[in-house]
Amino acid sequence: MSLLDIKGLTIHYITHQNTVRAVNDVDLSIDTGKTLGLVGETGAGKTTTALGILRLIQTPPGKIVSGEILFDGKDLLKESEHNIRMIRGNDISMIFQDPMTALNPIMRVGDQIAEVVYLHGDCTKEEAKERSLHMLETVGIRAERSTEFPHQFSGGMKQRVVIAMALACKPKLLIADEPTTALDVTIQAQVLKMINELKAVYNTSMLLITHDLGIVAETCDEVAIMYAGQIVEYGNLEHIFDNPKHPYTIGLFKSLPSLDKDVERLSPIKGLMPDPANLPTGCKFHTRCDHVCEDCKAIEPAYQEIEPGHFVRCLRVERGEI
Amino acid sequence: MIKYFIKRLLWTIPVMLGVLVVVFTITYFTPGDPVMTILGTGYTPERYAAMAHEFGLDKGYFGQIGSYIWNLISQGSFGKSFASNIPIAQEIAIRFPVTLKLALLSTFFVVIVGLPLGILSATKQYSAFDTSLTAVALILCAVPSFILALLSLILFGVKLRWLPISGLDTWKSWILPVATNALGGIAVLMRMTRTTMLEVIRQDYIRTARAKGLKESVVIRRHALQNCLIPVLTVIGSNLTMQLAGAIIIETIFNINGMGMYLMQGILARDYPVINGTVILIAFIVCVMNLAVDLLYALVDPRIKAQYTSGKRKAKAIRKLRSAKTEVE
Ligand SMILES: Nc1ncnc2c1ncn2[C@@H]1O[C@H](COP(=O)(O)OP(=O)(O)O)[C@@H](O)[C@H]1O
Ligand SMILES: [Mg+2]
Repeated sequence: MSLLDIKGLTIHYITHQNTVRAVNDVDLSIDTGKTLGLVGETGAGKTTTALGILRLIQTPPGKIVSGEILFDGKDLLKESEHNIRMIRGNDISMIFQDPMTALNPIMRVGDQIAEVVYLHGDCTKEEAKERSLHMLETVGIRAERSTEFPHQFSGGMKQRVVIAMALACKPKLLIADEPTTALDVTIQAQVLKMINELKAVYNTSMLLITHDLGIVAETCDEVAIMYAGQIVEYGNLEHIFDNPKHPYTIGLFKSLPSLDKDVERLSPIKGLMPDPANLPTGCKFHTRCDHVCEDCKAIEPAYQEIEPGHFVRCLRVERGEI
Repeated sequence: MIKYFIKRLLWTIPVMLGVLVVVFTITYFTPGDPVMTILGTGYTPERYAAMAHEFGLDKGYFGQIGSYIWNLISQGSFGKSFASNIPIAQEIAIRFPVTLKLALLSTFFVVIVGLPLGILSATKQYSAFDTSLTAVALILCAVPSFILALLSLILFGVKLRWLPISGLDTWKSWILPVATNALGGIAVLMRMTRTTMLEVIRQDYIRTARAKGLKESVVIRRHALQNCLIPVLTVIGSNLTMQLAGAIIIETIFNINGMGMYLMQGILARDYPVINGTVILIAFIVCVMNLAVDLLYALVDPRIKAQYTSGKRKAKAIRKLRSAKTEVE
């Protein structure tokens, strides 16, 4: 059985002017110890999905309209606020996109780690402190620096502190929301390696949100491609990298530079992602698709399993036309 | 840190000197002859000259300001009142505690009422509580304190006869002056706290704190409040100085024998030494308050503290480097 099983998750941001349909009917699942990559361009709804799992969507304007989030067999959307708090930081923890702002600027980094340990750890303050020092050393920061404040750390080190904080309670699921996007390229690799190693040590499952397919190839077991709030293609690494079916996924690969293929020019996907407050009818991708037909504009494609474990949301793939 | 404190303290000296010169100059060149005010009508030229000499008014501008500053520094003396001939320092010593108590009490209420209301208002943004409180605060911000003082005096003192209307004899008589002096400040602090808090609770680190599984009340108390306090401190500091200024009006309305009333009497009687003395003292308090707020900043915000200490550390490192260099040489 999978650790996390999301079914039909739909999240909207409702304001006076409009309704932003950020996440629409998303299905995802992650097995114990496995890593799922969630890939999509900015505004696709990745962060909203992640925050939805922890029930941290700001309400208002955000609202989880429908769906189920089964974690260890329990529906998180039906849990009490108290139970959710017991899960947050303990069973499911999250690494946020921007380490520069993710830490409280006026609290010592050691205390920020010890806080979460003390909250869930069933231990004394001293033991929590002890554990926070251990966690700092685990992520490669000397324990003496625990009394320093975030402004005394570089971006990469701040992200390490955030990782230490997220893993301090040995969560079953780690949600990493673009953990390396804000970092220098050289630091990116280090941080990613560290997350991977620690994840293996603690046997943690991971939802890795990124827009970097290279990172996915190195890190993930399964991949979900998100577009305009929907999962358009889902499968394991071979499915997605060797046999991509959805025109959007194919477009993503075409827009990447490659060393082995000798292409003259990159071909980015034309156009822009539609405004999630004003989504087109039919297939959400039809405005940018090379294979668009009349039906694509009217009929909403179903999420179809085309081979075991490989799902695609495309009318023309479903009909075997492409 | 201590070095910074001393530096800031020393800086108040030129500031105070500047205030002193400005205040003295203004009262000196104000039309009206203080000797004539003291003597009234029907005096002889000899009597006029004797009086002018007694108060040092025959010395000219530079002579007068010079001896004023000299007396202030050497004896702590503000001179004598023209009207009563009593040393002003002595009068201030009686009245200053009254005004300070009024200002501190008002500030105390401003903080213990304004701060929590602002926080509550922010955490319950757009609720009925928040909207009605914001509306009330807006009105209170706009109404000058003397209108509030007069209206409440009429209502609670004259019509309902619940509270005394003048003096400071019982604890009851403090209620109206403190309340009317504090209300405007409460409204300002509340609005400021609300705005700051709304900004703070949108920050990423608050989301991090929530993602840890902390209770919302703990998130607010431990993570949001202290971050929100930094800008709010300025408001509290400037509020105390505003309370001092407001005290002049409030004391006059409620007939309280403090610095404000003393200053008012001085102005009405053209008793220039009284005006000089009280204004200079109030300016000094404002200087001290600003200093205190700056120091509190450093206590609350480690980033600011680091600036001061890092200067010291840098200096130490440089000194080390230099001594190493000389050793090599
Ligand atoms: N608090 C919010 N209020 C209104 N709209 C929001 C809010 N947060 C996100 N959105 C919108 O939801 C959509 C998805 O955002 P997000 O989940 O952050 O995307 P991603 O993480 O994939 O870049 C975007 O169009 C964004 O503008
Ligand atoms: Mg995002």
